[in-house]
Amino acid sequence: MQSSAALEYDYSVAKLYMWTTVIFGIVGMTIGVLIASQLAWPELNYLFGEYGTFSRLRPLHTNVVIYGFTVSGIMATFYYAAQRVLKVSLAELPFFNFLAKLDFVAYLFAAAAMVVSELMGITASKEYAQMEWPLDVAIVVYWVIWGIVMFGMIGARREKALYISMWYYIATFLGVAMLYVFNNMEVPTIFFSGGVGAWYHSVSMYAGTNDALVQWWWGHNAVAFVFTVPIIAMIYYFLPKESGQAVYSYKLSLLSFWGLMFVYLWAGGHHLLWSTVPDWMQTMGSVFSVVLILPSWGSAINMLLTMKGEWNQLTENPLIKFMILASTFYMLSTLEGPIQSVKSVNAIAHFTDWIPGHVHDGVLGWVAFMIFAAIMHMSTRVFKREIYSKSLLEAQFWIQTIGVVLYFTSMWIAGITQGMMWRAVDEYGNLMYSFIDTVSVLHPYYAIRAIGGLLYLIGMFMFAYNFIMTATAGRKLEQEPQFRSPMA
Amino acid sequence: MFHWLEKNPFLFAVGVFVVIAFAGLIEILPNFAEASRPVKGLKPYTVLELAGKEVYKKDNCIACHSQLIRPFKAETDRYGRYSLSGEYAYDRPFLWGSKRTGPDLHRVGNYRTPEWHANHMWDPKSVVPASIMPAYKHQFTNIADIATAYAEAVTVKKVFHTPYGDDIQPGKAAYEKYYKEKVLPEALKIAKAMKNKDVLDMVKQGKVPEIVALIAYLERLK
Amino acid sequence: MTMAELQGYMMFFFTIFLVVILYAYILHLYRSEKKGERDYEKYGKIAIEDEIDDKPVEVNPKISNEKKEK
Repeated sequence: MQSSAALEYDYSVAKLYMWTTVIFGIVGMTIGVLIASQLAWPELNYLFGEYGTFSRLRPLHTNVVIYGFTVSGIMATFYYAAQRVLKVSLAELPFFNFLAKLDFVAYLFAAAAMVVSELMGITASKEYAQMEWPLDVAIVVYWVIWGIVMFGMIGARREKALYISMWYYIATFLGVAMLYVFNNMEVPTIFFSGGVGAWYHSVSMYAGTNDALVQWWWGHNAVAFVFTVPIIAMIYYFLPKESGQAVYSYKLSLLSFWGLMFVYLWAGGHHLLWSTVPDWMQTMGSVFSVVLILPSWGSAINMLLTMKGEWNQLTENPLIKFMILASTFYMLSTLEGPIQSVKSVNAIAHFTDWIPGHVHDGVLGWVAFMIFAAIMHMSTRVFKREIYSKSLLEAQFWIQTIGVVLYFTSMWIAGITQGMMWRAVDEYGNLMYSFIDTVSVLHPYYAIRAIGGLLYLIGMFMFAYNFIMTATAGRKLEQEPQFRSPMA
Repeated sequence: MFHWLEKNPFLFAVGVFVVIAFAGLIEILPNFAEASRPVKGLKPYTVLELAGKEVYKKDNCIACHSQLIRPFKAETDRYGRYSLSGEYAYDRPFLWGSKRTGPDLHRVGNYRTPEWHANHMWDPKSVVPASIMPAYKHQFTNIADIATAYAEAVTVKKVFHTPYGDDIQPGKAAYEKYYKEKVLPEALKIAKAMKNKDVLDMVKQGKVPEIVALIAYLERLK
Repeated sequence: MTMAELQGYMMFFFTIFLVVILYAYILHLYRSEKKGERDYEKYGKIAIEDEIDDKPVEVNPKISNEKKEK
């Protein structure tokens, strides 16, 4: 092993994605706070003319936090952790290293084009798949290059067994590829119209109910393969590494993996309960959503048990705090989701604010917390510096936790209130409330939600400051820390 | 017995793919033919309506409005007949939405008028005082992209055999002819019903603002 | 047989098939550990001992040979 003594992991690509994670996090969450405030105080719709209305900004918010913040976080952790669990350095693979860098540049261009086109209102109008066909093509190319790099690295690995995180990264690659391609099947109109109309316009290959099925098969599983699978990949690596404790049960992690893969894809039907899709599919969506609790909790409990005998770390190390709270929120939202999928509950919950409430306890509590912890853990290794401020990290943790709690509790109440009011009838069987009554009643909850979001955004700014200071002014480390990330 | 799966990344990937593709294959593909049959008497969208649908997409009404009436008494009382699969046969993409910050719109054409819509889009508070919807004044000045809507009609006619007449043909000349003979008269009718002088003047000059197309589309939702 | 029926049968049997496989997998995991064929828990160490010059938990034969030749 003489030759590899001088060899080091090459973090250049991971570093680039870490920066974009922070930048997109700030952009996406700022838009989020703005649109949440618009619902409480509608005058805020007129800040940027045509481009500042709630409706125009909402897809921008979702797309920037999904494809900007989260995907950057996934890529940053992949280019960091995959090298380490495969025990292969990108420095040994100049070709794949080059591809990875090229892919990053493509990512930046695609992200910029996405932001501009959505501000202009150029959209295919399918949720989380708003981008029009030229961008879809670009994204598929981007994704395939990532896959090539991934399998290139796997081919050159020194560690024969693939660590469980790699399983999840591979599943992310395959799942998103399959779903994205099928959902975005569309016919560009310019090829048929004889030069009439906009070149970027397209029509969906599917119509009506079919389109809805494909869309929610995608919409639900985008959540699976962007917000769940790669985040589990992260926690399986970063929690053991930060705490110095191996995964509690490796076998349980393998079982949960296959369980999740099999069950998750079925659950998409729960977005279409009481709609015009066939009844048996709706029931299927319901049933599998409930079954989904098992593999989800399998992973989460495995994480909690990993800390067995080491719970003192929870009070001492804020990064452990972030990760443990993340797995707790994962348990909460994977219980909440199945509850909402029960048909009778769904009759009330669907179309109300309970749904965004559910989404946000998942993404704010689970996805973003995990990404914050991972980025901080990586920054000590990548920049070879101490984390700039532990107390700032602690403060961020508590401010954001309060923010999340305000967010989802207010949305639970708002959703159930509105759902009940829509269906309330008087003694003669007439509807009791006009629609606008059910909107006006929500104002205090919208205000609380906006405040919760604002707290979270403040935490995001604290994080960004802490990250930048770590990268530039943290105390230099002479040796790479083995487990716990050092912090001042 | 399972050892090969854990050690061979390629076979592993295939295994994952089979497992995740299974649900899609069973759930979605075989139902396609049946779910895409239109209900009796359903006409494809006119080009002006399609342009309105593009405005609906562009200003992303779907963020707050659904187009799906569920089969509950509370919903049919409020919005009208519950939605049928065949009613969506020409909706590419579907616009059911997932959130009702505002009311459902699937049958809004039954109980609102072009004039109401015009007032509402100019200033929602003028017709619904407690409304939290933003005003969409830019729709009164932006010109609707009729050409792209026409291109869409040509495309769905050719690719999906949507039953459009012979006057929908590829090429600029066919488009210009269609615009003068079909789109403008339809737009004029809407503009008159809107009772908005500026809009009417624009249409008379041969320009169709977004609001006219949008209202044509909303009127069609019945 | 109509498409819908075919769908139903496919669904039913394939689900059963996958469930059987999943249970067989659980059995396989625990049995092979009991017999001492392999120790799954040692793979948990991959994340802990992940320096590039740490000894791999299981050496990939193809790669390590090449590296030694250099």
